[in-house]
Amino acid sequence: MSIRNLAFALALALSVSAPAMASPLAMTQEELSEAQITPSMQTALDEGGSLVIVDVLGAVCDFCALAMTRTFERRSEVAAATVDLDAKTLTFVLHEGAELENATITDLIRRSGYQENGIRRPEAR
Amino acid sequence: MRVFIFAGAVLALASGGIADARPVSYEGGSTLIVEHDRDMSAIWAHYTPHHRYSIGYRGEWHREDDHAFHGAQLTWLANRWFGEDYQANLYLFGAAGLAYGVDDNPAGTGAAGSLGLMADWETRRWFVSYMARGFAGETVGEKAMQSARLGVAPYVANYGALHTWLMVQVEHNPQAENPVGVTPLVRFFQGPLMAEFGWSVTDDKPFLQFQYRF
Repeated sequence: MSIRNLAFALALALSVSAPAMASPLAMTQEELSEAQITPSMQTALDEGGSLVIVDVLGAVCDFCALAMTRTFERRSEVAAATVDLDAKTLTFVLHEGAELENATITDLIRRSGYQENGIRRPEAR
Repeated sequence: MRVFIFAGAVLALASGGIADARPVSYEGGSTLIVEHDRDMSAIWAHYTPHHRYSIGYRGEWHREDDHAFHGAQLTWLANRWFGEDYQANLYLFGAAGLAYGVDDNPAGTGAAGSLGLMADWETRRWFVSYMARGFAGETVGEKAMQSARLGVAPYVANYGALHTWLMVQVEHNPQAENPVGVTPLVRFFQGPLMAEFGWSVTDDKPFLQFQYRF
């Protein structure tokens, strides 16, 4: 097999595998559990919203989760939010174009009665 | 004014209600609690203007002592310790209002108040709490009590699912006919609603508590 044929085969292989490669957000969503993405959050993502994942300390019960969910969903920037007690995360989706700074997120977690332990913002699709 | 120290009646309210209700909620959150235990029936509604304290109305009917209390209660979250898998809290609380005799108790209306502290530690599997409280009133006497609770969740559930806890509560009320009481109970917890059903094996009386977080 010539080098030209090898190059062609390699290019073909890459072109076939390319569609299977996910965008950063899709990959992140695959890593997230169902409990971290509710249907309303998925709808907001489909409408161009952006995902934020917050690691939280001290969230051990439904009242804890309820406190954070309600606190964030009261914000006009937030389309939907939920808490996964297994993953110890608060996840929420910002409306398209909306922003919420890390310092504000940390303060909202504190006002809910808990403590932020890391904030991640997966790339938009 | 005489100062009373109360807690017995509230042992249930305190041990069960106060300890488990997370008496300080998220900012802007409100909670309604209704409880019935071996000594007392109570209703408590509180609002959390700041994540470190809550304030609300509390009404108690002390069936064993034939008196009632109505007042305002302030609860302060003195400290909260966080971990990835646990949370621990120390609360101090105080109430002030009026107490008066009911049924066969001729006591008139007088000022009354209570002070107490509560501590708890919990994971998604285990729960431990301790509470001590004192009550004092001009016309209805005084009391002191303490209680502790141990709980275990037979399974661990995620947010929104039904949570179930098996618990046992031990109360110490020196002035009661049975100073030490034991109340096994089961707690169901889902979203904004918490319900507890128990039975005082000491006094052979039911224990009920319902909480709703708005």
